[in-house]
Amino acid sequence: MQIQAEPRLEHAIEAIRVRFGSQALTRAAELPPPPAWPSGTPLDRLTGIGGLPKGRISLLVGSGTCGKLTLALSLLAGATHEFAHAVVIDAGGGFDAGGLLPFVPARGPLTVVRPPAPDAAGEAASTLARAGAGFILLMGEVPEPWLGPLESGANRSGTVVVGVVDAPSRAFAHASSLSLAFARVDWIWDRGQLIGLRTLARCSKNRVAPPVGESELEVRYFPGPAGIREQAVAVGEQAWSAVV
Amino acid sequence: MVCCGLTSHLELARRPDLYGSPVVVGRWDDHVIAASAEAVAAGVAPGMPLRQAEHLCPLATFLMPDLEASVRLQELIAAALYDLAPVVEVRVDGVAWLDLEGVTSIPLAIREARRRLRAATACEPRLGLASGPFAARLAAARARPGRLLRIDDARSFLAPLSSRELDFDAEQMERLDLLGLRTLGDVAAIGPRELESQLGREGRRAVMLARGLEPDRLEPWRPPMFTSSHRQFDPPVEDREALLFVARALCGDLAEELGLRGAGAKRLRVRLRLEDADEETRDSLVRHPLSSAAELFGLVGSWIKEWQPAAPIAEMWIELPVLEASGRRQLRLWAGGDGTSEEVVAALERLQERYGEGVVTQVRVG
Repeated sequence: MQIQAEPRLEHAIEAIRVRFGSQALTRAAELPPPPAWPSGTPLDRLTGIGGLPKGRISLLVGSGTCGKLTLALSLLAGATHEFAHAVVIDAGGGFDAGGLLPFVPARGPLTVVRPPAPDAAGEAASTLARAGAGFILLMGEVPEPWLGPLESGANRSGTVVVGVVDAPSRAFAHASSLSLAFARVDWIWDRGQLIGLRTLARCSKNRVAPPVGESELEVRYFPGPAGIREQAVAVGEQAWSAVV
Repeated sequence: MVCCGLTSHLELARRPDLYGSPVVVGRWDDHVIAASAEAVAAGVAPGMPLRQAEHLCPLATFLMPDLEASVRLQELIAAALYDLAPVVEVRVDGVAWLDLEGVTSIPLAIREARRRLRAATACEPRLGLASGPFAARLAAARARPGRLLRIDDARSFLAPLSSRELDFDAEQMERLDLLGLRTLGDVAAIGPRELESQLGREGRRAVMLARGLEPDRLEPWRPPMFTSSHRQFDPPVEDREALLFVARALCGDLAEELGLRGAGAKRLRVRLRLEDADEETRDSLVRHPLSSAAELFGLVGSWIKEWQPAAPIAEMWIELPVLEASGRRQLRLWAGGDGTSEEVVAALERLQERYGEGVVTQVRVG
């Protein structure tokens, strides 16, 4: 039966391609990945496409202090150079623009939306994604009813959407195309002083490319004359750093 | 450049299940309004008495015309094409024109127009691209289904075609024949004044058309200015969650319609008819047109959440009394770049409108 079915299937596939074009029927594995935005951070190596996917939702997740916000701020700083509109949707009200300075953002105003309610956060995110904002940093969850509009809006305009949450709800996790999980491995101490942390970044979900694996990162805090010095280094390579 | 998409007559497109078989549309005591290609092959022609058509093609399916349904389909097609070109005209006889002047990506617009025409009429349109609507329509008529025929030199393309392609009545056609003007090339060769003296103003127009000078302008389609959606509750409801659920569905319906029409709502009104026949209303003008379900429900939902109706609700109406020809949707056609920046700024302003100025702040960094 199998032997008979295959030529018929091949014949049907051929007929579809002849009638509707060679791209009408494509194997899932052959589908082109979404365009990537190379962020210049070690995360690019984990996504499998050389950057964060445009038009999709990416999540940085991890409980407690594990470096996800540092990475997110680094992405945001890079986005201010790359996109005309990099927007922060600060649902929890905890975004501090000062934390962005070590990563040398582009000079100029940064748009921060502080929605009064979770629904408003969802509305803001989906409206801005549909309008074509280049980069949206979501500081917190988006309610489930807004995930569909957010996904479709981002997909239409190619917006890079990055969410930072401790533990995403099931719906939020499902809506994301890429989830990077962070787990703090250890604190780094030097002469009795806390100077940073070591974290394990792992690609826990990847719908844009085969999963690449994990990477250990170090996020370091150096007290210095000019303030705080923050540095994150991918193990084995100097991936990115920032100094105030 | 004008692109013409030629589909079947919209009276025929109402019944895609009959594609491939002979179909004749017309009233019994009147003339044929439309005939499918199979019926035309049997000798039926639009305009002939229906009895004659029945005699020529007795196996055809004979349909009564439904002008209302055809006009609805015409509106649907016009709305679907509206954001592809600044000027769109659709006729009931299955001709859709798009004036692509100023459109940044003409191939993309044509490809999308073809896709949308196919979706609306369930048949592959023939496409013509020329300097004006007349040449574009004749080019489309000569293209294969799903293909585009591009005409760069309209006059030489038109020259060998029959002068019957001009939309003249029988008497005018007879006079053209008597003058020996059997092709458009013959018509183009004669002076406009000479033919005007024979056929009046139509004669001058015919010469201009035959020369590819395109004297006719498209009549731009405009989106309608009002729409609404409503739901009755039997028995009347008091449950706020039920109201929100229904409101979300109504907003979805309206957004779909707005999307089809390429319109945005400048004003939003919610009316609740109460069990005791009283009515309560909320009404708001919005600075930027709302077009998506999320935007509509954002406002409607916020009203319903704090609404305290005096009695159970028997009917809910969501009305969009002022619709705007969707500049926002067409913005990308003309704005510098892709118009994104303007849309993001508009989106931020809309959020401020809804939640107050303080919801959006500009933080200076760097």
